[in-house]
Amino acid sequence: MPSNNKVDISVIIPLFNEEKSVTPLIKAVFKAVNTLQKPFEVLLVDDGSEDQTFAIAKSLAQTHRNLRVIKFRKNYGQTPAMVAGIEHAKGNILITMDGDLQNDPADIPNFIRKINEGFDIVVGWRIKRQDKLISRKIPSQIANWLIGKVTGVPIKDNGCSLKAYRREVIQNVPLYSEMHRFIPAMGSIMGAKIAELKVSHHARKFGYSKYGLSRIYKVLLDLLTVKTIISFSSKPMVIFGTLAFIFALISLLTILVGAIQVLATATASVVVLVGTSMLSGILSFFLLFSGILCELIFRTGTVKIDRFSQITAFTDFKSTGNK
Amino acid sequence: MKENLELSVIIPITEKNRQYNVEELHYLYKKNVERTKKTYEFIYVLDGNFPEEFQVLQDLKKKGECLKILKLAKWFGESIALSAGFENSDGKLILTLPAYPQIDEEEIPKIINAVNGHDMIIARRWPRMDGFINKVQNQAFHRLVKITTGTNFNDLGSGVRIFRRQVGEEVQIYGDQHRFFPLLAKRYGFKVAEINVRQSPKDAFSRVYSFGIYLRRMLDLLTVFFLIKFTKKPLRFFGLSGVTVFLIGAFLSFYLFIQRMFFHVPLADRPIILLALLLIVLGIQIFAIGLIGEIIIFTHARELKEYTIEQVVN
Repeated sequence: MPSNNKVDISVIIPLFNEEKSVTPLIKAVFKAVNTLQKPFEVLLVDDGSEDQTFAIAKSLAQTHRNLRVIKFRKNYGQTPAMVAGIEHAKGNILITMDGDLQNDPADIPNFIRKINEGFDIVVGWRIKRQDKLISRKIPSQIANWLIGKVTGVPIKDNGCSLKAYRREVIQNVPLYSEMHRFIPAMGSIMGAKIAELKVSHHARKFGYSKYGLSRIYKVLLDLLTVKTIISFSSKPMVIFGTLAFIFALISLLTILVGAIQVLATATASVVVLVGTSMLSGILSFFLLFSGILCELIFRTGTVKIDRFSQITAFTDFKSTGNK
Repeated sequence: MKENLELSVIIPITEKNRQYNVEELHYLYKKNVERTKKTYEFIYVLDGNFPEEFQVLQDLKKKGECLKILKLAKWFGESIALSAGFENSDGKLILTLPAYPQIDEEEIPKIINAVNGHDMIIARRWPRMDGFINKVQNQAFHRLVKITTGTNFNDLGSGVRIFRRQVGEEVQIYGDQHRFFPLLAKRYGFKVAEINVRQSPKDAFSRVYSFGIYLRRMLDLLTVFFLIKFTKKPLRFFGLSGVTVFLIGAFLSFYLFIQRMFFHVPLADRPIILLALLLIVLGIQIFAIGLIGEIIIFTHARELKEYTIEQVVN
C-alpha cells in the first residue's frame, strides 16, 4: 500500500446511488474534519452505483487532493464496500459513515476525541432516529436486542454506520458477508474497549434507503454464525472433543446394557441398543476428527483470534503515551 | 513482451481431429482476423501429445506465420489449456477459437467488433442447424443453468469467446469450468453479452456423449451453483439443513419414546427407530461440516476478496 504522506484520520463512506448527496456530504465532511487540524483523507467507495455518483465523486476528487474514490465493478453491499475502504485506508483512526447525509459529519471530532481517550471502537447511537417506525425502527430494535443478548455486548444501535476504529483493531476483525453489524460485538468479545456516543440523525433528504436492518432472518443466521464461530474459535478441539466423548460414552453404555440383557435372557432382542451404540460410536469418531480438522484450519488461517487481544493491549499502551 | 498487441487468438487443441487439418483452419481464421486490421498473435495450445498437429504448426511457423505453440506435458483438459494460453498471451483482447469449425469464420470480425462497450462476448450459434437430440439436450442444459444460477445464457458450449485481458486476470476458473467462464465473469461484475452468429455447417452433426460426461457436467453445475450461492456463508446453508434433519430425527425419536414408555409399543421390531437415530447423527454431521466450512471462510476472510474494484481515483 502506498504511504508517501502521513495520514492520521481516514473517513470511509460507502455510496450507492447517492448522486444528490455526494457534493453536500463531501463539503460537510471536509468542514468537520478540517477543524481537527490533522492530516486526513476521505475515501468514497462507489458500490456499483447506476447513476452519476461516480462521475460527481471523480470530479470532486480533482479539486480535493485528499479525496480518494474507489469504484466497484458492480453492487456488492455495504460490508464489502467498508472492507474495501478499510483495506485502502492509510490513517491510524478509521471513521465509517453513511453516504446518505443521515449521519452528521459534525459528530466526527467527538469520535476522534473518544478514540484518543483510549477506546478501540466507538459506536454511534442514534437517539432520535428519523426513520419509519414499522419498517425500520422496530425491526432494528429487535435485532439490537437479540445481538446484545446473544453476544453479551449490549450495544444499543448496531445499525448506526457512524463508527470509529483504531486501525490495528479493525484490520484484524474478519469481515465478510454482512458482518459489519457485528464488528462491535466481535471486537468486544475479543477484548477491545468499546464506547458509545450519542449522535444526531437526520431524515433522508434525497433518494430512498438502500441498506437496512430489515431482513431479520439473515441477521439471525449471521448472529448464530458469529456466536458459534466465536465460541468455537478459541478451543474447537475442546468442544468437539467433549461432544465426541459424550457420544462415545452413550455408545459404550448402550452396548453394555445390550450385552447384559443377552447374557440374562437368551431371547432378548437388542437391535435397538446395538443400533444406538453403533451410530453414536460413528458420530463420536466423526466429531473427534472434525475437531482435529478445525484445529488445523485455525492453525493455517491468516486470522488469528489470540492476536487480537495482544494488539488491543498494545494500542492501549500507545494511547496512554499520547496523552 | 509486445506492449501494444491488440488481439491474442488462443486455440486449444484438446482432442484428435478427425476431419479438419490445422493448417487449413489456421489460414481461414487468420484471413478473417486480419480483416479487422488489428495487430494479432496466434497461440496454439496442445493439450497433451499431438505429434501430427505439432509438426504442422512448426512448419507453419517456419513459413513465417506469427504464432506461438504451447505444448502441455500431458492431457489437462480445456480449462487448463485455455489458462496456459492466456498466461502466455500479450494481447489486450483475447479471442478463443475452437480447433474445429463451430461458427462460420466470416463472422469473426463481427465478434471482434462487438466487444466495444462490453467486457466479454460469446458467439451464440443461432439459428442452430444441429439434429433434434442436440437441440433438446442443449435447451435442457441451459434451462437448468438458468434455474440454478439465475443467469440467462443460450450457448455456454460455444468455444468462440472474446474478452478483455482484465476478465481473464480476475476470474478464476478451474477443473472443467471453462464452460461456466462467462457466468463467473458476469458474477464478477463484467459486462457479458451474447451475439448471434451463423453456425458452421460442419458443426451441425449430432453428438451424444457418454454417461460420464453428462454426470461431470452436472457436478460442475452443482459446484458453480454452490460457489455462487454459498461461498461466503456455508453455515447458512449447512446449518439450516443440518438443524432441520436433526429436528426431524429428534421428534421421531421422541414420538417413539412416548409410545414405548406410555403405550407399551415394543421398539425391537420397529426399524424406524434406526431411521430416527440416523437422522440425528446425519443432522449433527451436516452442521459440523457447515461449521468447518464457515471456519475456513472466517480464518481466510482477509484473503478472499468479495468485491472487484474497477477504478481507484487519487
